Amino acid sequence: MSKKLSFGIWSSVKMSVILIALTAATILVGAWCPQEGQVGREKVFEAFGKDNGQIVINLGLADTYHSPWFLFLIAMLSLSMLAASFERVFPRLLTLKNKMPLLDKGGIEKLPFHKSVEYEAEPGTESGGKSLDEIESKLKKKGFNIIREGNKLTGEQGLIGRLAPSVTHVGLLSLLVGVTITSWTGFNGFQPVKLGECLSFEDSQHSKLWIGSLPNWQGRVIETRRENHPTGEPKQWYTTLAIEDKFGKVLKTAELSVNNPLTYDNVDIYQSSWGIDSIALKFNGQKQTIPVNPMGKRFAAFLPLDQDSVMIFSVLDQKSDLRIFAKRSNWEAPKILTEIKPGQSATLGGVTLTYDGIIPRTGLQYKRDPGIFVVYTAFGFIMIGVLLAFIPHRHVWACEEQNDNKISLAIGGRSPKAKIAFERMIEKIIEPYEKLQIAWQLKNQTEKIVDEQIREEICQTSK
Amino acid sequence: MSDLQVVLTNTAGVTSIISFWIFVASNAFKNWKPKILGSAFWVLLIGFIALTCAIVARGIEAQRFPLSNLYESLLWFAWAIMGAYLWLAATLNHAGVWHLGWLASLTAASFFLYGSWLPQSQHDIQPLVPALVSYWRQIHVPPLIVSYAMFFLSGLSGLVQLWWGGRRVTVFGLIFTILLACSAIALGTFSQIAVYYLQALFVGGSLLGVIFSWINLKKVKTEAINASREELYDDISYRCISVGFPLLTIGIITGGLWANHAWGSYWSWDPKESMALVTWLSYAAYIHLRIHREIPADKLAVVSCIGLLLTLLTYLGFNTLGFGGLHSYGQLK
Ligand code: HEM
Repeated sequence: MSKKLSFGIWSSVKMSVILIALTAATILVGAWCPQEGQVGREKVFEAFGKDNGQIVINLGLADTYHSPWFLFLIAMLSLSMLAASFERVFPRLLTLKNKMPLLDKGGIEKLPFHKSVEYEAEPGTESGGKSLDEIESKLKKKGFNIIREGNKLTGEQGLIGRLAPSVTHVGLLSLLVGVTITSWTGFNGFQPVKLGECLSFEDSQHSKLWIGSLPNWQGRVIETRRENHPTGEPKQWYTTLAIEDKFGKVLKTAELSVNNPLTYDNVDIYQSSWGIDSIALKFNGQKQTIPVNPMGKRFAAFLPLDQDSVMIFSVLDQKSDLRIFAKRSNWEAPKILTEIKPGQSATLGGVTLTYDGIIPRTGLQYKRDPGIFVVYTAFGFIMIGVLLAFIPHRHVWACEEQNDNKISLAIGGRSPKAKIAFERMIEKIIEPYEKLQIAWQLKNQTEKIVDEQIREEICQTSK
Repeated sequence: MSDLQVVLTNTAGVTSIISFWIFVASNAFKNWKPKILGSAFWVLLIGFIALTCAIVARGIEAQRFPLSNLYESLLWFAWAIMGAYLWLAATLNHAGVWHLGWLASLTAASFFLYGSWLPQSQHDIQPLVPALVSYWRQIHVPPLIVSYAMFFLSGLSGLVQLWWGGRRVTVFGLIFTILLACSAIALGTFSQIAVYYLQALFVGGSLLGVIFSWINLKKVKTEAINASREELYDDISYRCISVGFPLLTIGIITGGLWANHAWGSYWSWDPKESMALVTWLSYAAYIHLRIHREIPADKLAVVSCIGLLLTLLTYLGFNTLGFGGLHSYGQLK
């Protein structure tokens, strides 16, 4: 095997751009088209009509992120990234320690950006190097690492930025590893649970290649309520869960709310929605529960009394009054009959109605995610990697040569990223010496003019 | 909204318009140009300070982090555009960056106008839905809005770069495309036109416009070329992406962390989330194209304008053009 790995086009930047662009385009389609798995088949038909909707579904557009095409792209992206990393990115790490050679004037003038000046040396300085001392201290102040040998120097800054591709690509590849671990061993699901009933995991979802296991405990909802803003909008939902083993023994009790999940046995349980399942009433002492449905902010039940009249029950939350309305088909709006506080009674048309309260239903989301640690580490790598990518890596070279009373100073360098700022920095560094150059040129010119004048005068006097 | 807040926000809006006109007017006075351009910087700085105070005042009044609906996010966006331009002008010693200055002021002014036309309910301070009551909100959203602003500036800088590269036809093509996309969004926000037409207007217009601009890159007006300016704006364009990309990365990942913390899944292919990923990938492509200068600078400038369109679609397009999703803080209806 040759020492240098080569995957040809597969590891090229060109390939990465093509694959990234195709992936982006595919995700764009998936973002635009309603996804059956998220919103249900009905919404797809709603968006496109029955016939077109069916075509969209058959084309796989309504399940973009599980389509063979998308999985193929992700696989290609990972392989290409692996190939590029081993061929081009990781080997570069080895060159990080390589020292840069020092350059003379000719070398510096071949750099993409360079400046040179000539000016008069101060009398009595033969060894030179004063300008380099100044440049060195300026560069050091800006964070450059300087190597100086006599009248030549080279400086480097932002070497750590060279780690960016390695760190980012390692992060992206570990992300895929983490997601795969989760997909093969984790599970998740959602279950609406009525007060007093249990959250169990039988209906959870997991991938086809699953090799994980389900918990042997369940969570009983022993309390659940909603808190409101003064305007009646929901502010927070709470659920108290008792974790029970197979025999009903309580292992742990805890409260959860939105943004405050509960973790037990590596299963995370989240408060994701809240509603009222039904209201408990007594009609002349006889118990009855009436299921309700969400209606705007409130929950309501419709109880037909006869052909053209209905009775409407409406509640907001566990603390609110039960409002009872009647509606006839020839009335414009329902008429309120009465309001009953929880636990109290009212008489309506000879019937004593007792409102015992609501039976709430809490929407619980749960999951076990064994790959999460790897995923979070990957997130860390990716964030650090992209931050590193924008530290510009910069090189400067400078040299000073002295011939009799003339000093020539050359400075140049490269910064593929943030080029203009780099050039401005070099220009600023060389500015004082450019002034010296101008001064020297002026002096030479004046001397020349004076010389000529004197010569002319001598000529004239000799005539 | 308190009077103080209204005054501060209006000050910011008005200064952005004034600085736009100062930038424009400077062309008429050759001798005074540097002085006039300098004053535009200071006017914009006053606006930036006023807007900073307005946002802080709103936060104090609402007793929460002031970034929870479309209106507030527009204020942040304008704030970031103004701040980023001031930062560029200051670090590059003001020299020559004013070509971007008038575009930045114009963008900020347009966002103020857009914000001021939103329904009153957006301007009022309203309670948060349970899903948004979390300290994660202030970690997740600001990096995103600032990254969008940086991508906007990068695209605008790409336009200026193409202009000084003599690609006038391409520049006009791209400006027209961007205006078309913006009008789709304005119509989506303020009119009742069916979203399908607007989606077609945005996506179709962008596709055709970009293809047209790309093809016309070959048309170069050589006498209009100013290589040093072209290079300056190429550098600025990349510099904006180099700030925006890590911010977008942080925004997307912290969004994932929040989602995982709040409802147990760091990624759910929600449309807005997916769209942010598309934008992220498009800038990843830009970066790869740039590493070894795989394509010339003028094509990269067009890529940065494609990025601008995708950013616009992610930030405003998805909600105003009728795509679904959880991220309703940007939603009106
Ligand atoms: C098909 C997959 C990919 C391939 C083949 C690939 C290849 C490469 C190569 C060859 C480099 C240049 C290394 C160098 O010359 O120093 C690079 C750099 C980089 N890549 Fe990728 N890459 C891929 C996917 C990605 C993705 C999806 C991202 C997401 C952000 C990414 C982020 C980066 C970053 C941040 C750099 C450093 C850029 C810089 O230093 O300016 N790569 N990639």
